[in-house]
Amino acid sequence: MKKILVFGLLLIIGFMQNGIVNVHASSSDIIYTDEDYARLHTVIEHVENILKYGHAYNTDTNLLPDAINTLTGEPAKWVFPNRAEVAYSDVANQQNFYRTLVALSTVTGDDKYTNEAKAILGEFMMNYQNVNGLMYWGGHRTIDLDTLTVQSTESENGPHELKNMLPYYELMLEVNEEATLQFIRQLWTAHFRWGTADLNRHGSYSSAADVNVFGQPMIDDIIVMDELGLPIIPSNSPGDLPFVNAATDLAYAAFTLADYTGDPAPQAWAEYLMRQYHLASNPVTGMTVYQYKSTQISKSPSECADPTYTNSGCGDRVARQFRDFGAIARESNVEWKNTQAIYVDNILMLLEAADKYGIDYYVDWARGYLEGYLDYTYIRIDGKNMVIPMFNDGTVTYGYIVPEAGYYGPSNMRLGYVEMPTTYLLPILRTILATDLEEDQVKLWTYFREIVDTFGIGDVGPLGGMSPDLNLDTAIDDPFALMAMVELYNATLNPQYLEVARTIGNNIVNEKFYRGFFVESEIMLYSRLDQPDTLALLILDGVIRGIDTADMPYYLADSGYIHGYLLANDGVTEDRGYTQTYIYTKTIYDWE
Amino acid sequence: MKRLIGLLVISVMSLLLFACGNDTTQTTTAIQTNTTTATQTNLTTAQTTSTNVTTTLNIESQIYKLLIEAEELSGMTDWNGLLISVGQDLNLPTSYKGVTITYSSREPSIVSNDGIVTLPDECWIESREQDGVTPIPNLNDNWPVVVDVLMTYLGHERTAKLMFIIAPEAGFTCDKYKG
Repeated sequence: MKKILVFGLLLIIGFMQNGIVNVHASSSDIIYTDEDYARLHTVIEHVENILKYGHAYNTDTNLLPDAINTLTGEPAKWVFPNRAEVAYSDVANQQNFYRTLVALSTVTGDDKYTNEAKAILGEFMMNYQNVNGLMYWGGHRTIDLDTLTVQSTESENGPHELKNMLPYYELMLEVNEEATLQFIRQLWTAHFRWGTADLNRHGSYSSAADVNVFGQPMIDDIIVMDELGLPIIPSNSPGDLPFVNAATDLAYAAFTLADYTGDPAPQAWAEYLMRQYHLASNPVTGMTVYQYKSTQISKSPSECADPTYTNSGCGDRVARQFRDFGAIARESNVEWKNTQAIYVDNILMLLEAADKYGIDYYVDWARGYLEGYLDYTYIRIDGKNMVIPMFNDGTVTYGYIVPEAGYYGPSNMRLGYVEMPTTYLLPILRTILATDLEEDQVKLWTYFREIVDTFGIGDVGPLGGMSPDLNLDTAIDDPFALMAMVELYNATLNPQYLEVARTIGNNIVNEKFYRGFFVESEIMLYSRLDQPDTLALLILDGVIRGIDTADMPYYLADSGYIHGYLLANDGVTEDRGYTQTYIYTKTIYDWE
Repeated sequence: MKRLIGLLVISVMSLLLFACGNDTTQTTTAIQTNTTTATQTNLTTAQTTSTNVTTTLNIESQIYKLLIEAEELSGMTDWNGLLISVGQDLNLPTSYKGVTITYSSREPSIVSNDGIVTLPDECWIESREQDGVTPIPNLNDNWPVVVDVLMTYLGHERTAKLMFIIAPEAGFTCDKYKG
């Protein structure tokens, strides 16, 4: 009898002492409920409606529009300054929909959805790849669904641009290996300068294909330290802007290429590229950077006299608009704008590279960046997760009144707190889960616990998350919160996480499923193909069914957009804007 | 003995169901009597090992809630975001129901770690026109001062940040343009 008692006690102690262990349900003994089916049914209805209305617009193509008007079933249209209306299909902006299709096939066992994704990608890669390898997609190029021709939204010859779009390469390789590999190679050729490490978010469709791509000799790091051990950010970039959101896509592509072909050179260059951002990070605070170079001044003083002329040829745009702060005022050092690209999208890619391609030190980098950022900037204000604006050396800019207009906003703008979005949950949690030592998990877990609680999800409990006290009636209707809870369930197998994930899933359906489509809210007009809600719901559905998340498509980003010249909302003037601010903000009340 | 075994089985089952696990709590020692009633309720003396486990988790959870309460109700946030234009002692709370609260200022010469405000004799930022010569007076005189807060209770910690806006004293200078 004593042995039984001892065994029981040991079992209890064993449970108590486990840190975060990555255990995955091998088979599900979870009961699949009517509510679970109801959620799945909404996703199926959404997907079927996207396919029905998307294909109905032009039956000569498999391509789908980026978004669908939920009142009429028609595609969203880009209105050029000359009033030409173009129903657009930008395949780079539909990556989460393809992941949704594959996930839907996985949970239903019906291949038709995966086949739809393959048909779309197959037609696209066959017909819309430039001879040099670049695809006609991204920030400035799209396909006109009426004429099935390539359109440019940025003058006549818009450049190639990917910013955190992280294409679904696994499926692309399956559909058309040659086209995918050629694209990845040309992505680097068109955007990266091998001899100087200059990187431009814009790549030319006229760039010649390079047979020796990735075969260039490796160069020294271009970031060096000053006498104080602080990074010197070069100001010699010839009009290029090495934004991390573009670099994230380059690195992800190169890691994919190296893994697929077995050639180590692309990985070496991807590691080189990411290392420049790391070296440019502040070594004291740990906070990292949006870019590792500033642009060379190429414009005349008279051209740059107008502060609203923010061409990068006038030099670093933060140095211009925030010059009162002195040397720290550089675009690279800003910690209140574009931080999603730095601390969410880039970190998710780094963690993916660590997990899939064995680049373990990226986990340490990710942890260092996040700990520094949260240590210095994270603040709770009025029950909300907020960020104190500052430069990456810790110089606070909160309350600063900007004397004149510039790239970062109008004159007399006062810098305030920046709301921390729920997207931060995933990089923080995934970094914790990827960290080996328990003592290294403590700080981020503490922040994670506070942030989750402040979002109204409840208490995930002490390190390890094995004894949470979650708010099972949470009102949050957010796909990132949902995915975080699913990933915590996978890590702990604690059913509370699954229950709260179901609640969040139900909330998403209740608050975002209208007129047969997932929309941002009831009144929003367009349903975007790239929205992450349906993928998150399917990942939850898969877990309930006992499908290993490794067998499901993985969420990485939802940053798809189109940028360029269009007709302003006044119907008269020309403007330059984004789909996100011009089109996807329209409500059903804007529709006549 | 049967009751003990029964209790053990129930505990194991509940642990399997709720997957209780790692816990960083160092002790099951009773929390000081000045904690909340809710906390005290959960401090029943442990009778068995399994009860100790459950109690430990309850204690951890209650301490977590107590630390949140300390942040929200101790009064530490009363000055948050307000313009402070008089040198004074902010009387920042140093304890709350047994929670120890300490402060670490990022500008200790303006707001000390004890919460004493000394108005600075210079502006925060000197702003100038694009020519780099013509001053723009009084645009960015007030200092944003971040104070990091550490709340501790029986080895458990919670951090927070406070933001104080401090005006410079009368007759301050503003001649430190960095542009």
